[in-house]
Amino acid sequence: MTITRRAVLKSMTATSALAAASRLGAPAIAQAKPCKLGILAPRTGVAASPGISGLRATEWAVEKFNASGGIAGRPIELVVEEETSPKDTIERFQKLVQQDKVDCVLGVISTGVALALGPVVEEARALTIFWDGTTQDGVDEKLSNARYLFKSTDNECEAVMSSLLTIKHWKGQFKRIAGINPDYSYGRNNMAAFTALLKRFNIEHEVVTEQWPKVGSMELTSNVAALKAAKPDLIFSSLLFADLPVFMKQASAAELTQGTKLVFPAAGFQHTLMKKDFTPEGMLFGHNTLYFDNPNATPMAKEFVAWYFDKQKDYPNWEADRAYFAIASYKAAVEAAAKAKGTAWPANNDVIDAMIGPGIESLGGKGTWRKDHIAEQTFVQGFTTHKNNYDFVTLDPSKIETMYSTDLQKPPGANFWDWLKSAQFKL
Amino acid sequence: MSAFANVVFGGIFHAAVLFLVAAGLQLVFGVQKIVNLACGSFYALGAYFGITLVNAALKAGLPPVLLLPILIVAGLLMAVVGPPIERLLRTVYGRDESFQLLLTFALVLMFQDVLRFIWGANPRSLGNEVLTYGKLSSGDFTVPVYNLLVIAAAIAAACLIGLFLRRTSYGRLLRATAENRAMAEALGVNVRAVYAVVFSLGTLLGTLGGALVVPTSAASLDMAIEFVIEAFAVVVIGGLGSMAGALIGALLVGLIRAVSLVVYPEFEILAIYLIVIGTLLIRPSGLFGKAAS
Repeated sequence: MTITRRAVLKSMTATSALAAASRLGAPAIAQAKPCKLGILAPRTGVAASPGISGLRATEWAVEKFNASGGIAGRPIELVVEEETSPKDTIERFQKLVQQDKVDCVLGVISTGVALALGPVVEEARALTIFWDGTTQDGVDEKLSNARYLFKSTDNECEAVMSSLLTIKHWKGQFKRIAGINPDYSYGRNNMAAFTALLKRFNIEHEVVTEQWPKVGSMELTSNVAALKAAKPDLIFSSLLFADLPVFMKQASAAELTQGTKLVFPAAGFQHTLMKKDFTPEGMLFGHNTLYFDNPNATPMAKEFVAWYFDKQKDYPNWEADRAYFAIASYKAAVEAAAKAKGTAWPANNDVIDAMIGPGIESLGGKGTWRKDHIAEQTFVQGFTTHKNNYDFVTLDPSKIETMYSTDLQKPPGANFWDWLKSAQFKL
Repeated sequence: MSAFANVVFGGIFHAAVLFLVAAGLQLVFGVQKIVNLACGSFYALGAYFGITLVNAALKAGLPPVLLLPILIVAGLLMAVVGPPIERLLRTVYGRDESFQLLLTFALVLMFQDVLRFIWGANPRSLGNEVLTYGKLSSGDFTVPVYNLLVIAAAIAAACLIGLFLRRTSYGRLLRATAENRAMAEALGVNVRAVYAVVFSLGTLLGTLGGALVVPTSAASLDMAIEFVIEAFAVVVIGGLGSMAGALIGALLVGLIRAVSLVVYPEFEILAIYLIVIGTLLIRPSGLFGKAAS
């Protein structure tokens, strides 16, 4: 068969006509200019697991929102970039803002990246909502007057909650405490917050050893031996990456977990790897802002967990909630601002003002934004049980504790350590 | 006394794990003069595949007592990645070390993505299979028998490689090639084949090590890089290219780390790298390495 130029032109015209005709019958949402959302999330390396959990929750939200009209009638389109080193992530952020011209940037898990990116966001005047990153250098807020940037809850919330629950449930049952925490500001601040609260509540204690393995250590036999030699009554640990199940497995094999009280505020990051074989019942276990098996979860959260399992053959951790909270807050703010201003699409400044509103129901519970652009969210912790249909531990339904972060994080402008000394905690 | 035994045993176990990572690195450098950063990726590959094969075997009804042979099979099977990678590395033989480092580091990143593609971003772990063979206990001292098997495997690997290099005619060929590649080639040694064998053996040590250690640990995307850094401390102390050096270096690093974790945990990393710096200053070729002529 001979293909002539005329035949090609004819078929191209016919194809174009067909394509145009098919668009005529499409709903209005498809005709609107897409709302482009830039995502910065790690998909490889030590933070890949939370990064992908957050990405999946974002995809679920986009699927759901687009099915019901997108954001203020505009379909959502995602532009996903990798979160890696601060320098490279800043470059990708600038690409999202300047080249892709996104309406909002969401994501960022590492506080190291967040600290460097914060001032760039303000300079670029680009509305940005962090999933899990803060702009705290240690526990000191470095960007207290942010206008365009919205940041996650303080990293220490979960340690404060675990400390309060330890005092509430185990006061008088331990004296010798040991710590094994990741060797960066998060791990060190969590351990310091734990001991500061024990002191605040006049709990007699002695720190017998503090172990600081580097993040992601995969061989902790020597740390386990050092802990065992110290004979602690209680071990506090905010290990949260692949090192956490490794520690539990090696501690269990060395019989360190028998008869020792365990306080693990961030264990929910690896919840499906905390197998019953080596994770005991009765340990204090934190799920941060999303507990996938929460009996009090909303129908929406249950629908998400089912969808996630169907897609991933896994159960989501809290990064999914952080990501959903970010995108759902943005949608709520855009639609509230559009309604208030009577426009189809509000200006960025109006969206920013509308973010500080009544809040939304996120996957893990209620969430709002403070005036200093720091999130307030619902935290869940409890005591582990083996009575479930999984091969890993879950929370004993009768011992689930829920706290709102207004009771767990320092107020705007406060010094964390001073606040720990003076705050009115509810036990 | 039990506490002391636990600490010493912890150090020896850590040394065994480090040796299994460093041995492949040593062998390949010793003969091929390639600093293979990807040796940690082979270790990770063995670990991931070990979990998959053990889970599949247990699901198929095989008894848990077969854990060790299943993991050995996993390590052996994954060693097939060695020859094609050696073929790729031929492009940088004889070139500046920076080319070799860049290429092998590129392999680390590519492996990380391949592992993520196949096994996902979440870490992977077995259950309590590490206790399949029971525990040895005396007072407060407790050690899983499996951990002793890992130590035995590391010692066996060191002995077998030593015997192979010193007592077999092919081992002598390898050493001759390592000493003087041009002379070996002139005498009719098929250097290409020697390199392929050495690299495959180095890969096998990595994949086997990863598969054997994973029941005591977990597999994660970052594990390749984590172990390579410590393995370099081992080879600097022991001497680049020396198998005895790798064994002694690993033992030194493992025991120093274990003792500092009890005495002064903040000193853990510093103690190791002070020894590395001391070695570089006093004996730059390492305890068992040959000084450059």
